[in-house]
Amino acid sequence: MRQGRYPFIIGFLAIPVVLYAVFVIGPYVQAFQIALTKWNGYKAPEYVGLKNFRDLFEDEAFTSALWHHLWILITLPLATLVIALFFSFLLNVGGGAGKSGTMRGVRFSGFYKVIFFLPQVLAVAILGVLFQAVYRPNESGMLNGLLAKVGVAPVQFLNDPKLALWSIIGVVVWQGVGFYVVLFSAGMSSIPKDVFEAAAIDGAGRFTLFFRVTLPLLWDTLQVGWIYLGIAAFDMFAIVQVLSVDQGGPDNSTTVVALEIYRQVFRYSELGYASAMGVVLFFMTLTFAALTLRVTRRERIEF
Amino acid sequence: MKTNAETTSTDLPALPADAQPVRKGAASGPGGGKPAAKVASGVFSGLSHVALAVWALLVIVPIVWTFVAAFKTNAEIFGDAWTLPASWHFDAWGRAWSDANIGRYLLNSVFVVTISTFLTMLLGAMAAYVLARYEFRGSKLIYFMFVSGMMFPVFLALVPLFKVVQNLHVHNTYQGLILVYVAYSLPFTVFFLTAFFRTLPTSVAEAAFIDGAGHMRTFFQIMMPMARPGLVSITIFNVIGQWNQYLLPIIIVPADQDKWVLPQAIATISTSAGYRQDWPALMAALSMAIIPVIIVYIIFQRQIQAGLTAGAVK
Amino acid sequence: MTEITGLLRRDVLKRLGLVAVAAPGLSLLSACATGGGSEEGGTDVASDGDAKNPFKVDAAKPLNVVIFKGGLGDDYATQVHEPMYVTAFPGVKIEHEGIVEIGKALQPRFSSGTDIPDVVANSGTDLMDTGALAEAGHLQDLTALWDAPSVDDPAKKVRDTIMPGAVEAGLVAGKPYLLPYVSTTYGLWYDAELFKAKGWTPPKTFEEFKTLAETIKAAGLTPFAYAGKNASYYAYWMILISAAKIGGNKVLLDIDNLVDGAWTNPAVEQAAAAWAEINTKYSDKSFEGLIHTEVQTQQNQGKIAFYPSGSWLENEQAPSTPKTFKYGLAPTPSVSSADAMPYEAVRVAAGEYYFVSAKGENPQGGMEYFRQMLSKAGAKGFTEKSGSLTIVNGAAEGLTLSPGLTSVFAAQQAAGQNVVTTSLFENWYKELETELRRQTNNLMYGRNDAKTFCAEMQKAADKAKEDAGADIQTRAS
Repeated sequence: MRQGRYPFIIGFLAIPVVLYAVFVIGPYVQAFQIALTKWNGYKAPEYVGLKNFRDLFEDEAFTSALWHHLWILITLPLATLVIALFFSFLLNVGGGAGKSGTMRGVRFSGFYKVIFFLPQVLAVAILGVLFQAVYRPNESGMLNGLLAKVGVAPVQFLNDPKLALWSIIGVVVWQGVGFYVVLFSAGMSSIPKDVFEAAAIDGAGRFTLFFRVTLPLLWDTLQVGWIYLGIAAFDMFAIVQVLSVDQGGPDNSTTVVALEIYRQVFRYSELGYASAMGVVLFFMTLTFAALTLRVTRRERIEF
Repeated sequence: MKTNAETTSTDLPALPADAQPVRKGAASGPGGGKPAAKVASGVFSGLSHVALAVWALLVIVPIVWTFVAAFKTNAEIFGDAWTLPASWHFDAWGRAWSDANIGRYLLNSVFVVTISTFLTMLLGAMAAYVLARYEFRGSKLIYFMFVSGMMFPVFLALVPLFKVVQNLHVHNTYQGLILVYVAYSLPFTVFFLTAFFRTLPTSVAEAAFIDGAGHMRTFFQIMMPMARPGLVSITIFNVIGQWNQYLLPIIIVPADQDKWVLPQAIATISTSAGYRQDWPALMAALSMAIIPVIIVYIIFQRQIQAGLTAGAVK
Repeated sequence: MTEITGLLRRDVLKRLGLVAVAAPGLSLLSACATGGGSEEGGTDVASDGDAKNPFKVDAAKPLNVVIFKGGLGDDYATQVHEPMYVTAFPGVKIEHEGIVEIGKALQPRFSSGTDIPDVVANSGTDLMDTGALAEAGHLQDLTALWDAPSVDDPAKKVRDTIMPGAVEAGLVAGKPYLLPYVSTTYGLWYDAELFKAKGWTPPKTFEEFKTLAETIKAAGLTPFAYAGKNASYYAYWMILISAAKIGGNKVLLDIDNLVDGAWTNPAVEQAAAAWAEINTKYSDKSFEGLIHTEVQTQQNQGKIAFYPSGSWLENEQAPSTPKTFKYGLAPTPSVSSADAMPYEAVRVAAGEYYFVSAKGENPQGGMEYFRQMLSKAGAKGFTEKSGSLTIVNGAAEGLTLSPGLTSVFAAQQAAGQNVVTTSLFENWYKELETELRRQTNNLMYGRNDAKTFCAEMQKAADKAKEDAGADIQTRAS
């Protein structure tokens, strides 16, 4: 194309690629090698082939972790995105019809957006301590303190195996909603007014507008959000570790693959086995992202 | 001061051409009379406020509760959650400041995150620009290499990573922490910015070339300013992500407490407060960790929202 | 903010040696991280019987000490043991690190073979697997230490100045690799003042336990509680102690040795059923969601009667214990009149493990540091700073003991030779231990019955045996 193209490309890529290769790719490639060994981290690893992967699927904790990811994958993006859509809808078109029939947001919508986004800036370590206080299973917990005032017996949010996982997902939703509210509001405010006006002239109501106009136009943003949240659903490590009973309990009801990896590394010194889990997690995330992108593309064609 | 929102709205790409207007026949007929619509509208608006206010409370209350708990005694913290402290004294804050050293950790975090975010943006933008706008052999492979990093559970790489950090003699140093933060922030940054650079119009760059600008100048003087909305939003991502990073610092600077960053310190304080029974001090330490972040957030919230806006509406 | 920008200007240039730093990194990609050093241990450290410096410490070498910063704090190291070491070798440099998450911080250092600390207090929830460390040759054989002349009386060997069974408690794969420094007594803790005021006495049998629990419940207290969120092991200790009382110490030896059917032993099932009944009837399910300090604080507030724990409890709770609260220790009640051990039997265990790194820079220094720790002055200082007793005989003499430690002494006197042995599988087979935590909560909060508990644990023990293969560990006593 032009002179100096290759020196420029190499010059621009060299540092990022080298840095990335050394600190990220190198260790990960080794992790793939380690997955084929039995290694306690101290003495030389012993090659065992695919044995770790065979053992994985007989591992009760690991298989329940896989199921949990499936539930999280379905509920976390759904809950977060639906709640966020609902609020951004209220913020942007909840104010009723303004002059000339355009839709307005409610008053103070700027203030709400600032507040809603706030949880995003809190570190997970902080979130953990916060929600221990929220969920505490007796009247000293914020939620159970309220329930006690209206005479309801304390709910065992984190120590009832049926509730624990949902309580933890609730924290992630709590943290995530604000981010998507801001994102969707941005998308909505960028929709040209004449689209709305045209629809309003056709006599479309607020909800019709939302489902027929706003939602299709936000489709791209939704897809991106779905991928982010999906990738987050495969992690969850820090929050589960901080909040759950007995790290992943009660009775393994909240464990996730990342936590099992952590346990294998730091408690049992089974680095090879842990790496095998990581490899499985990697391919799951990859599959999820690829599928989502495929589906996205198809949607786009229809749309 | 001009906000980003104003400048970016003009840069926004047009809507997809196939965006549908409302389908004919789908729209409901006109509602009732005007007054009824107005009343309904008022009711709806009221309900909207209720729903929004409830969620706002859900966000604010736990945080405020933490501030208040820092003034309570141990016994009060374990009593009814909804009582105020009997007396408002600052002892716990003093203990958290002096024993827990929160100030030091805050500064460490600011220092490390400032440098590493800057480097992440610089290197990430350089790589993304080349991958997005230049055709060459292996570009797909490099792009895939970066993007695949988004899917990998970080602590799988811990032991090999530690080895690398050791061999480069940056273990227990800020340099080590910064390098590793940058490396682990690159995947998402490159992924995002590559997509962003692809959306920018090529005509301007072409014009610059015709004017005789080199690749470098085109990038720094033309492409970077054009990409500002995307850069802002990904900067925000990185600041938040690196500020909250918890696992990497534990591996890179485990021993040297003077170099600890905030999340690491909070996690340690929360375990040792558990051991040492000083719940009010833990709450005070938490508050001290939260307050500066909230202040910074409030100051920059316009830019943050504008940045996200730019990133969202590609 | 000006300060930071100043820093930035000065340091950015220095820290931006990116290219220079990264280039040699390329060669690393081919170098596998799984080296981990040779499997041969470090140096052999011998004692030449010199009372002053038996291990021939080189005073020019610094000593790197890593202490777990948990319930015991690390003041005992910085203010007692390290100064003693410096006094013995003037001018020596000590590098002290107080760490909460030992495994996260140290494991990479051991596996990469660099920056290995000389002395490690391996404790807390994130401790390292000593079996794996021993296998890789990282643990210094302490035989020379146990045979060295003691600091207080050079005519005596160190091994003769400590509580019986302590050396054995530090065996890994049959070799004395660990120093279990703390003597811990386990049982049910209660507020002696409160009990006196109410006219309650600790129960001697489970029948009495249930009767008293009804009375306590009527008085508005929770009779018994433990913290399920992070301390379910406090409950399984009680089950194991009761199992040993029913069937003798052999029950616990069988469990450690992974003997077939060790967990389905009727003694284990009886003990499990007895404790499960207490917890389901006389506790509250909310305790499964609390951490140990939260439950302990509730006991200090007079809301809980009995709490199962070890003798570190009083010190751990000191900041939130009201003046009126006096800790007392009661042995676990007898399950039936046919029990092999009397009611007075208690578990007294040497625990809280320390080790010297064989591949560190200064194993001689580490051994000498241990010898100083095991002197009367070292042990006394430790008890003063941490509120816990050590394995060193007679070290607590002359100390004014707290109510809790006084009751510990009384319990030990009453028990005499009837000591419940400690369980070593907790450290030997970490996965089995994790499963036991899970199944303990399932049992104690009524999700499973005792029979299921035993069956599940037997399954886990069988798996541990299969995984261990040739590396199975055994103990004779």
